[in-house]
Amino acid sequence: MSDLQKLQHGFIDYLVGSETDIARHIQPNSALSAKERLNIYAYAYKARLKEAITTDYEILHSYLGDEQFEQLLQHYISKHPSQETNLRYYSTKMASFLRTEVPFNNLPILSEIAQIEAAFTNSFDAKDVEPTTLKQLSSLPPAAWENLKFIFHPAVQILTLEFNSFETWKALTDEKQPPTSKQFNSPNAWLLWRDIELITHYRPLPASEHAALKLALQEESFPTICESLLEYFSEDEVPIKAISYLQVWVHEGFITTLNIS
Amino acid sequence: MSKDNTRPFLGFGLGLRTEHYQYVIEYKPQVDWFEILSENYMVPGGKPLANLDKIRTNYPMVMHGVSMSIGSTDPLNTRYLKDLKTLIERVEPFWYSDHLCWTHAHNINSHDLLPLPYNETTIQHLVSRINQVQEFIGRPMLIENLSSYVTYNDSEMSEWQFLNEIARRSGCFILLDINNIFVSAHNHQFNPKDYIHGIDKKHVMQFHLAGHSQQDEMLIDTHDHSVCDPVWDLYRYALSRFGAVSTMIERDDNIPSFIELREELSIAEKIASDVLSPEQLIISGKPVLKSAA
Repeated sequence: MSDLQKLQHGFIDYLVGSETDIARHIQPNSALSAKERLNIYAYAYKARLKEAITTDYEILHSYLGDEQFEQLLQHYISKHPSQETNLRYYSTKMASFLRTEVPFNNLPILSEIAQIEAAFTNSFDAKDVEPTTLKQLSSLPPAAWENLKFIFHPAVQILTLEFNSFETWKALTDEKQPPTSKQFNSPNAWLLWRDIELITHYRPLPASEHAALKLALQEESFPTICESLLEYFSEDEVPIKAISYLQVWVHEGFITTLNIS
Repeated sequence: MSKDNTRPFLGFGLGLRTEHYQYVIEYKPQVDWFEILSENYMVPGGKPLANLDKIRTNYPMVMHGVSMSIGSTDPLNTRYLKDLKTLIERVEPFWYSDHLCWTHAHNINSHDLLPLPYNETTIQHLVSRINQVQEFIGRPMLIENLSSYVTYNDSEMSEWQFLNEIARRSGCFILLDINNIFVSAHNHQFNPKDYIHGIDKKHVMQFHLAGHSQQDEMLIDTHDHSVCDPVWDLYRYALSRFGAVSTMIERDDNIPSFIELREELSIAEKIASDVLSPEQLIISGKPVLKSAA
């Protein structure tokens, strides 16, 4: 290891609070010791990460309040030294962190709120892809439907939530009192997507559409999607329902490729 | 372009910030060019890139990065360089810049501009990496001096000697941050005019101006205030030494209205017109505006 490499590793260790002898490489001045000079960087390291998380999880912050959010920031930063080049991606592990780490995992709604906020951020800067048109859909030859699969716009996301976290997120977004945390008997699904004006929209997903869309997002074929709908509709109703879902998905710009290979 | 000014001169610019997107798109205020923060647009798509494209159709741009980590002992981040190159192809900036620093080591990113020891070993390390970047991107880069808060025992020369040598050996240009010189001069007790006097004229391509804060005995480069009078004085001194250099103001926190920031930029224009002749201030090398997609 070169001297420069040793120095840089020591400096980084100091920033993240690990044992290091980096201070012996730094000159004190008349006002500050070597460690005090290094502390300017150590403080800035945490401040930048805190700012990044706070920007990304504004509603989580509102839900927790300043004191508990500060605890969360300390825990997250200590557990996750940044490995990202771009700060935009630093806090992407927040939902899984909240789901697994004590004491935050005692309140499962926290992870779901983080999941909702991350989904909006993902939608905001998801890749731009030209959507498929209804004309393209209607011009498919009949044989194409036998193995038709779909590729979706990267902003299209399904959130499957066990708690009333979406209602909580919405209330806090509107600066209203959030409802008391409540677990549903079965998970609720919400859909997020981005329109051609780059505005993110959301709506609840009925169970039947959820089942169909989930399979479609997994690139299952149209016949497989139809089969899944038999759980919700009669054999006669299924083709009409499946086509109507598909038309909505295309009309809203969810689908970017009709794959007939 | 006057005889003594062989560098392109873009005039006076501002850092493009999200707070000002709507104003800039709607009113197209007069400003010669914008500097964008590269990383803000190194995302897959959506509004950041859509707004960038709209503004680019009306203004020349330069790109300024904070994450290349050119001085790191970790391998160069090829994914970052590919994304940077893609953005350069999209924006067609007049030039791109990053800092004389390192930001990450052993796979941890500080997201800060960390200083390097100024010695021959570091020069060789930096020159090799700058050459790799310039070869990959296909054009020379600009390297900016930092504000710094520590001095290494391993440093063997002044920062300006270090910067000159890197520019000379690698062929990169210098983005001289006048505020950073002022901040580091205070923190490391040197005369800021010695720095400006020590920099080789021919390498300087751009100036940054910004505000800073005082924290106990140290000055901190916070970009959250307007440019202070001593930094304006130093800017005046830099113009008298280097001639016309494309100048912009950076503001990253406590961001005022666009109008207020534009007024601050007019102070730079006024000082330049006091120090330099009208002939020296003729905008040259102006990049062609991009047509709307």
